[in-house]
Parts: sequence; structure tokens; C-alpha cells
Amino acid sequence: MSTYHEYVRSKDGAMIRQLPLILLLPALLILVVWLDDPAPPAEFTWSTSSDVFTLDPQRMSYLTDMRIGSSLYEGLVRFDPEDGTFAPGAASSWTTSPNGLTWTFTLRPDGLWSDGVPVTANDFAWSWMRLLTPDTAADYSSLFFSIHGAESCWKARSSDLEQFKNALFDSREQQEAEAVRLWNEHEQRFADEVGIEVVDAHTLRIQLDRPIPWLLDLLAFAPASPVYRPAVEGWPDSDTTVPWHQRDMPAWEDREFVELDPETGRLFQDHRWARPGRLVGNGPYVLAGWRYKRDLRLEVSPTWRNRDSVTCRSITKRTIEDPNTAVLAFESGAIDWLNGVNVDYRVDMIQQQRDGRRRDIHVVPAFATDFFSFNCRPTLPGDRFNPFADAAVRRAFTMAVDRSAIVKHVTRLNEPTATTLVPRGSIQGYDSPRGLDLDPERAREELAAAGWRDRDGDGLVENERGEQFPVTTLLYTTNTPRFKRMAIALREQWESALGVRIELVGKGSKFYRNDLREGDFMIARGTWYGDYGDPTTFLDLCRSGDGNNDRGFSEPEIDAALDAAAMETDPLRRFDMLADVERRLFTEDLPLIPICQVVDVHMYDPQRVSGLSAHPRQIQQLWRIAVKTPESTSRIAAP
Amino acid sequence: MTRRTKRRSMLRLIGWRLLQLPLILLVIYTITFMLAWLIPGNPLEKPEGRRPPAEIVQAMESRYDFDSPMTFYFEYLGGISGFDWATNGAQGPVIDFGPSLRHENWTVNEILVSQLPVSIVLGLSAIMLACVIGILAGVLGSLRPGSWIDLVTLLIALVGISLPAFVTGTVLLVVFAVSLGLLPVGGWGGFSHILLPAIALSLPFAAYIARLVRTGMLEELQSDHVRTARAKGLPERVVVFKHALKNAFLPVLSYLGPATAAAMTGSFVVEKVFAVPGIGTHFVDAVLGKDITLITGVVLVYSALLVLLNLLVDVLYQWADPRIKLG
Repeated sequence: MSTYHEYVRSKDGAMIRQLPLILLLPALLILVVWLDDPAPPAEFTWSTSSDVFTLDPQRMSYLTDMRIGSSLYEGLVRFDPEDGTFAPGAASSWTTSPNGLTWTFTLRPDGLWSDGVPVTANDFAWSWMRLLTPDTAADYSSLFFSIHGAESCWKARSSDLEQFKNALFDSREQQEAEAVRLWNEHEQRFADEVGIEVVDAHTLRIQLDRPIPWLLDLLAFAPASPVYRPAVEGWPDSDTTVPWHQRDMPAWEDREFVELDPETGRLFQDHRWARPGRLVGNGPYVLAGWRYKRDLRLEVSPTWRNRDSVTCRSITKRTIEDPNTAVLAFESGAIDWLNGVNVDYRVDMIQQQRDGRRRDIHVVPAFATDFFSFNCRPTLPGDRFNPFADAAVRRAFTMAVDRSAIVKHVTRLNEPTATTLVPRGSIQGYDSPRGLDLDPERAREELAAAGWRDRDGDGLVENERGEQFPVTTLLYTTNTPRFKRMAIALREQWESALGVRIELVGKGSKFYRNDLREGDFMIARGTWYGDYGDPTTFLDLCRSGDGNNDRGFSEPEIDAALDAAAMETDPLRRFDMLADVERRLFTEDLPLIPICQVVDVHMYDPQRVSGLSAHPRQIQQLWRIAVKTPESTSRIAAP
Repeated sequence: MTRRTKRRSMLRLIGWRLLQLPLILLVIYTITFMLAWLIPGNPLEKPEGRRPPAEIVQAMESRYDFDSPMTFYFEYLGGISGFDWATNGAQGPVIDFGPSLRHENWTVNEILVSQLPVSIVLGLSAIMLACVIGILAGVLGSLRPGSWIDLVTLLIALVGISLPAFVTGTVLLVVFAVSLGLLPVGGWGGFSHILLPAIALSLPFAAYIARLVRTGMLEELQSDHVRTARAKGLPERVVVFKHALKNAFLPVLSYLGPATAAAMTGSFVVEKVFAVPGIGTHFVDAVLGKDITLITGVVLVYSALLVLLNLLVDVLYQWADPRIKLG
């Protein structure tokens, strides 16, 4: 037996000799972990299941993005979740012409960007040009196409770009020069032709092609927020004494974050401007930190007009993808507000709330409806027979649906059931009519009237030629169990009430969307979230040729009635006309079967956190939030 | 084999593998690109609800060059191969994965730089933990086969191997974070955050190592040299740790290579359960979102990592056992 030292020096002792090396690894790990700062605690912490997608307001389309967006930026007006009206934002007042086509906004004289520069009408005009330029590829551009000249200007730029792509150039210089020329032309065209006029530094005029009574709603929408051009384009000097529109435009190559792509002629935006330290906004908060898929931190803006009324000086938004972990994080007290509780056991938690055993889970109706779409096209792909081209069959299927059984026993969330599309009580002054409800007897009569009845006593319906009703495929998405459960319940209800056979088809959302687009389904699940506070945001789904009319439903009378309502200037009469359209749609045409209003489940302790809105529009203004000191309450209410 | 020829063959092995690397990556890039391209839709498309009008969809597609896959393929290849960097006068990053298509405020490079270390740290911590737990449990079990200690370690190993991480992870969270309030629920930054995910991730590896050590130890403890050592009157501690464990550890060493790679790549579930901002989530999210640049970046970096780890393991093998021939 050798001594230890001899052993270490021997061949067999190699591993011991490498010991320092092996110890180096843990030491390194410790160092890495140690160097990584834990996030500084904020006064209010909330969590969502995915990170913010973009902080460029014009490109926003997700709810979380917009909530952060309306904290960093402030549009002309803002939605007041207390009473559903619109309050002054960056504009202090506005007037409308009698025909509803010209709107004039007066900006606050004291509105400031977070770098101290005054907010002017030019900021809005430039930001809206971004929104209405194809190069930006903003999801929501088309909502603003009613502004005079906006759509034609968009189309002119699109066709310019198309031509540029196909054109031949002698040299690279020529190509670059042409890209610049086309862009300048677009800017000029936008200034000349589009009905967005800068009257003076604090007056902005919007000219519409047709009256849109929900214009204020659109202007309160995050994509209509202003952005600060020198920050977005990355101008070299940060001269804050002169407004940017009075300065000389820097040369293209001096703008850090934008360039005109010589290959395609498109304006290419580098989004690194939207980072802590670079992002300039005019909203209640500034971006103090953002770590991808970890956390995003807001701190109250030093320049916001109303900053003294903001009680929560700092806010952290964490990203917790796993729904169960998010609930546990809330339970452990790490999170003050959990937005979107998507665990299966939430039903039991809601029951505990109803029994008075907890007070921190809240079920809030959203501005959305769950429904099932019929394929209304004359035939199915491949020229197959489509029984649902017949409105009587659609009515029969609708009246065989027991909605209250679905919300009670299937989703178990007791959502408000819906027989029409526009969520009840979500739009001030609009009262949704009633559509067809459960009536199996009448459902069978309708089906028989359409020629489908059980002629050979096998329990299944046939037409007069003795052909059985085609096996109906029911398409649902597999991303959550909710829709599978709904589909199973519907199959049972239809098979027992109508004598038809239903086959369930579950698909991932990408493939499901593809089938919808191609019209390759018979019945498919659907959900629609309204974009703005007007019934048309739902009813336009039933217009022939609308991009979101997945059903291929086309009824000239409905189109004409919607057009007539669009021209009506008296708001009450207009709502009546729209209610008539909705009544007809859901008592006669039934392009889809509304099931229930979607609900949003979230968690917060109401004794600790205040200022969160329960309005179905789900617009949360973070600066309204106030948090009481932690020692004041225990988490679970005494029974 | 002389020491010199051995060293030369080792260098040849390393050189040859490094030469192969770009080719392997090119093939992987091409396959990944084709598969990613087949995903329907575009990155901005929301899985639910509203679809923007046709002209806006078209604008989105041309924004990403989605109307011409070949252009996209070659332009992107220029960026990630360093070709653009070389031709543009060495500006910007050498390997440029471009902006993430879905999370456009971030470049893929930034995402990788901020999140890859997290996955690596978590994976390595889990493997170290697995070694400690596994070897201790294996040795304890082998000393008195059939005793209650052996049964308990066997049971724990069985549980560790068969329970999925989202179950063990959730149990750990509920016990240590919510009920006892000792550790934070999820997140990253500081030791308190790394402990639970590392334990959850290490359990299957620890269980496997425990089984390897136990089997090896049982065999070694019966062997001639251990009997000799005991006959010489050496203390049991020395016999067990110096004479038996040293040989019983060899299979563990060969297992550690692939296990380390698996721990760093396979922490997707653990990262999700503990809200760890690692790279694992992108394997699913980026694919669902058709975020081609992010998919490509993650796949290529991991492929390179795997190739290099395999090379390292091969080299270690040869170092540990010169009889192994490598081509």
C-alpha cells in the first residue's frame, strides 16, 4: 500500500490530480449564479403566460402588449373603464362636425415626452403614417382605413413596392436612389392626400370618408399611440430644444434604426429602439428594464402630466408560462395579480370563492363570444354535398343545443350563455336581441321541413331519395381541453335530438386555421374578441367576403342592412338597425351558433389591490392600480 | 502505442471532427429550414381569433421575405455563416442570427446570449447534484444489499426514474415554496432560485447513477482485489471508497457525457415548471410561432453544442481507457 502522495503521483491517481479542474466547474457555476442579479422588488407585480411581443405600439396586436403600451404611451383619448366613456388623454378637448366626418383635436399644451420635449400634432401625424404604411405591416391598419385617403395611399405604396421589386436597375446607386425617391413620394402623398392634418403644433384634424361613431375608441387603442420620431429612427443628436419637425432631417445613413432596403425598396425598422434607456414615450410610465421572457419593469414617468396621482411607482410584469406555477407563485405571495388562470382546478377555486372560503379569484366576462361556425358555402371542397348550405338545417342544429348544460357541466365556469354574437351589456346603449334557444321539438320540425326525417326507422334521418344525412365533422382545436369537451357535448346533443351522426376532428390551432381559411370543415369552433366598442366589430363577421368570415356566409340583404346602418348618423337609430340585423342573423340565417360569452379568470386580493377593472373590454390602466401594505390583510377571508 | 502517436491520433480526431462540424450544421440548417417553412401561417399570426385583411397579410409576408423561400434561405445563410460579416468589413456580430421574427424587439443572438447560460448552468448544477446523490445512494445501497437502506434507495431511484419532472417539480414547489415558504416559486437569479429546479432535473440522472454505482459496487465488493484489501486489514472506509468505488465509477463516467448533454438540452419541462428563463421553451414556442430565425438559432447552437460534447466525451474516453480506438 503506497502512501497518499505516491498514489496521487501514480498513473492511477490521475483523477485526484485533476481535482482542482473538477472543482473549477462548481466554482464557475457559483460565480455565474451570483453575478445574476435578482430582480429588484417592485410595488406591484403581475404575471402573464407569455412575454410582450413588441413595444412598438403601431405593431401591437396582443392584449398584454397593449396594456404595457398604454402605460408607456398615451393616445389622444383614453377609455374610462369606470363608465365605458372616453376621457381626455394627450388631447384636452375635441369637436365633431355635424355630419360626423371631421374631427378636430386640441392637444394639451403641457404634454411631454419622457425626454422632456413637448408632444405635438406632428408626432401623431407621423405615428399614424407609420400605422398606415404597408412597410410597417401593422396588424390593425385596416381599422383606420375610414380616414380619408388612407386606403388609397396604402394601396399606392403597395403597388410602388411591387413595381420596385420587378424593376431592373443599372446600378446599385440607381436602385438606392429609386428607393429613396419612392419613399419621399409616399411621404408627400400621405401629407397631401390623407385626411390627417396638422393645423398647428397643438391642433390636429381628422377627415373621414364615412362616419365612424367609434372613432374615439380607435384613437384610444394602443396602435394609435404616438411615438417619438428621433428615438424610433435613431437620430444622431438628441437636441431636445427644437421639435424634430423643425430640424433638418438627418441623412438616411445617419438614422440608426431605419433603412430603406435597396433590394425591396421597403422601409426596414430595427426594433432595438424599444429598449430600456432608448424608448421614449408620453405615457404614465417609462421602461426601466426588460429581460426577455423574464421580467419587464415600469417606473413612473418623470414627465407625465398626472404623475402625482399615480400611486404605484414601480410595476414588474413577470413571464410565467406554466399555468400551475403561476397559481403557486400567486399563492406564495410573489405575484399580486395573475392575469389568466388556466389550470383545470380553477373551477374548484371558483367554487371556494362562492362558498366564501377565498376571495382572490375573479371571473370576469370578456368582450368575446364562443361559438360554432357552420360552413355556409354552397358545396364543400371537392364539390361534396353541403347540408349546411340550407338555413333550415342550421336552425335545426342550433335549436338542438343546450347551452346551459354546456356552461354548467362541461366548461363548469357558468359563463353567461349567448344566443347572439355581441356580448350582452358590453356596449353602452346597445341591447342584443334574442336568438334561437333550445327547442328540440322545433329543431326536428325544421330538419323535417328541410327534407331530412327518419324514413326507415333506424333512428337516423334521410332525405326523400333515402340517402342518410352526411356524417357531420365537428372541427375543434386541441390547445386546451375546453373545446374538446364542448365538442363531445354537442355531438351527444345533436345525435340524440336530431338523428344525425357527428364525427369529432381535433387539430392543432395552425392546422385548424388553415382548414377554416380553405373552407374545409362542416362545423368548426370559433371565438371572436371584439376590437372596438361597437356592434359592427362582431356583426361584420357576417358580411360577404369579410376576411374573417370563415363560414363563407353570404346574404345580400344582410350586407345591404349593414351598409345602411353604416350611413346612419343618428346613433340610437343606428343601434336599432344593427339590432335588427343581429336579430335576423340569429333567428333566420344562423351562420354560426353562439354558445356563451368568454370569461376571463384572474387572481388578486381585492383587499390589497385596487384599481383593476372588471369591464368586459379588459382594458387595464396600470396607473390606476394601488397596493395596500402587506401587513393589512390575510390572504383568505374569514368565513 | 507510444505517447506521441497517441497524442497525434487524438489531434487528428479533434481536427477531423471540427472539419466535419460546418458540414453537419449546413445539413441541419437546411433540414430545419425546410421543416420550419412547412409550418402554416406567418409569425405574426395569432393562434386564435382575428385575421388581418389580405393586403396586411401580404405586407407581413413581404416584410419577412416570406414570399420567396430561396431568397430567405440564402440571405440568412450569409448572415449565420459569417459570410456577410467577412464581406461587410467585419461589422456587427460574426454569426448573426437576425431578429426574432415573433419577438421583434430582440435579436436571436441576444436571446441566445441571455438564455443559453441559464440552461447550461441549470444542466451542469443538476448533473453535479445527480453525481453526489447518485453515488452516495448507490454506495449505501450496495454495502448491505437487501437491507432497509438498500430498499429505500431503490425506491427513491424508482420514483426518480419513473416520475416525470412536472410532477416532482410541482411537488417540490408546493412543499418547499408554498407550504414552507423557504424558497421562491420559479424565476431566476441567485441561489435560492436554482435549488429546486436543479433537484427536479437531477432526480432521473441521480437515480440512474445510483443504479449504475450499486451494480458496479456489488460486483467490485466480491472481487479479488477487494478481498485482498480486506485481508490486509484495511479499514472498510478505504476499501469501499478507494478500491471498490474507483472501478465502479467507470461506467458512470461514460454515462456522464450524454447525461450532461441531455440535462442541458432536456430541461424544457423543468424550465417551464420553475419559470426558468432558459432556452428550452423555444423548442416548442418558436416552432408553434413559426419563428424561423429563432428556431434556426436554437437548433444550430444546440447541434454545435452536442457535436462538441460528443467530441469531448470521446477524448475523455481515450484518456480514461487507452484501449478504446477512435476513428
